[in-house]
Amino acid sequence: MNDWASVLGVPLWGWLFVLPIMVAALCYFFQAPAKRLLTPVWRFLDRLYLASGALAAAFMVIILVIIVLQMIARWSSISFQGSTEFAGYAMAATSFFAFAYALNRGSHIRVSILLNINNFTRKWVDAYAILIAAVTATYFARYAVKTNFMSEILNDRTQGQDQVPEWLLAFVSMFGTWPTNWGELWATVGSEWVYTPVWLPQLPMSLGTILLAIALWDNLFRLLINGESNIKGEAVE
Amino acid sequence: MTELYATAIFLFVLFALLGSSVWIGLALMGVAWVGMELFTSRPAGDAMITTIWTGASSWTLTALPLFIWMGEILFRTRLSQDLFRGLAPWMRMLPGGLLHTNIAGCTLFAAVSGSSAATLTTVGKMSIPELRKRGYPEYMIIGTLAGAATLGLMIPPSLTLIVYGVTINESITKLFMAGIFPGLVLSSLFMAYIIGWHYLRKDERPEPEPSMTFAEMFKESRFLIPVMVLVFTVIGSMYFGWATATEAAAVGVLGSLALATIQRSLTWETFSASLMGATRTSAMIALILMGAAFLSLAMGFTGIPRALASWIDTMNLSPIALIAVLTVFYLVLGMFMDGLSSVVLTMAIVEPMIRQAGIDVIWFGIFLVVVIETAQVTPPVGFNLFVLQGMTQHEISYIAKTAIPMVGLMLLMVVILVVWPELATWLPENIRGQ
Repeated sequence: MNDWASVLGVPLWGWLFVLPIMVAALCYFFQAPAKRLLTPVWRFLDRLYLASGALAAAFMVIILVIIVLQMIARWSSISFQGSTEFAGYAMAATSFFAFAYALNRGSHIRVSILLNINNFTRKWVDAYAILIAAVTATYFARYAVKTNFMSEILNDRTQGQDQVPEWLLAFVSMFGTWPTNWGELWATVGSEWVYTPVWLPQLPMSLGTILLAIALWDNLFRLLINGESNIKGEAVE
Repeated sequence: MTELYATAIFLFVLFALLGSSVWIGLALMGVAWVGMELFTSRPAGDAMITTIWTGASSWTLTALPLFIWMGEILFRTRLSQDLFRGLAPWMRMLPGGLLHTNIAGCTLFAAVSGSSAATLTTVGKMSIPELRKRGYPEYMIIGTLAGAATLGLMIPPSLTLIVYGVTINESITKLFMAGIFPGLVLSSLFMAYIIGWHYLRKDERPEPEPSMTFAEMFKESRFLIPVMVLVFTVIGSMYFGWATATEAAAVGVLGSLALATIQRSLTWETFSASLMGATRTSAMIALILMGAAFLSLAMGFTGIPRALASWIDTMNLSPIALIAVLTVFYLVLGMFMDGLSSVVLTMAIVEPMIRQAGIDVIWFGIFLVVVIETAQVTPPVGFNLFVLQGMTQHEISYIAKTAIPMVGLMLLMVVILVVWPELATWLPENIRGQ
């Protein structure tokens, strides 16, 4: 399987790496029109980052709930199968969904010695760092998505004892297919519980890494247009 | 020879990426990718995601966000005021007076929080203005606080120890237990320093505090009782084997929510602020751990860790000499990096080395924390210095100067740990209920 197969006649790396860099160049040379065009996009993205952060927080509460239930189950000698796996999935979801949000709030740490020399380095070293980070994050997202698809194709199942209801799988699958297929999808769903297919908990990984990559490219564009990125509050908390 | 060549390339790419201010987690991924592409024929991207997914969805890691959340909740309660008010009546009797509230406050808050920045802020918010008002010398206020706040990393729960335990696959409960006595010894060293100051610099002593009756003292410190109960529940449940580290963390979160409710400081704002803050911090650490997991995979393929371990073996270094070398190494590294990153960055190399040399890994975790703590108060990069700068508006260089005696005491602590390793290893070997 070629990881960078052509899409619409352009290899995938062209879409993922070259195109954003070209957009960044355009942003730098045509600052005013780019700003006009992108302002509504920014408003939308800012809400998306926050929503993703809130979702991550919800998964943190879910970790707490799972662990409390697990303790209660143990004390009352009821078995709660797969609790550790579920807590692990929630852990992954917490981390991945929060990446972009944490980035924009300045929580991810970096060595900022060069950055703090003067205003010139503050802008250009930052632009360079964001570019490298964006390329890395895009690569990360590309393979996260690939792994996610492979898990689905190979019908990879959990190693643990955790099970999920079939309707949940069908519900999530709805978002991955056209509404015309929904009838067929639901027709085959039973009321059984099945061992968790790995693609389900891996979804947050795909979505979270994609959003992180978008957030980094977004920050690069904003830095080149406005002279400052969207990363606010890099104070130690 | 390939190993030498590979090492040089790894180091070069690593410093290039970290130096150009790429976020640490992503920089580590970049280095690992270069290593995979150059030295192996394995598909780098697929191997990367497999490793990262396994690590990111692991059960042991769930202790991390919960302990962070617990600290975040308490950080937003009235605990800051209560710590000072509750501890002051007891500390005023000691030679050195209220300066001891810095140490005792940090020790106590360290037992509910895993971060030294949070410890520093919580204790300092109240103690700096109060101590200034009473005329204690500025250098003692700042210095003792900078030093004592590092206890946050050592006394359980400790984020650094969780990260260390996850990285090398060791029991987090054992590491937590190992941190207790060394943490208490270190805080006694700090207190001894304050007592020494009291007798050596008589002219700097402020007016003695008015005396208080026992009843008044108890009345003032009644707010601390719930915190103490929380501390003993969390640590005790791990010690007696009632709960795993993750479960103890869950109990801690519920306990601190209850505490905040009793104090009437639990509003929707503080709740969501604590939750979102914990989410951000935990995501930050998760990203670094992912980068580090991929990097150790890549380094494993190149054979560098094994080669280095056997090289150390042929040198016939005594464990003591190895520890001395590593101390210097981590101190230098800590001058440019924060503690967590330097742990995850180096463990792939250092773990085989210490296992080869026959050093106890639990003990090594505690040693590592002390050295890293020391690096937190040495310039140019020291998190505690940054936090204190934000709080007091002093220059970094001034704050670093006031902390020099503390650095000395922490290095003394390293020596103590080497001479009496039982300090760290005795408690974890005697955990109940195993």
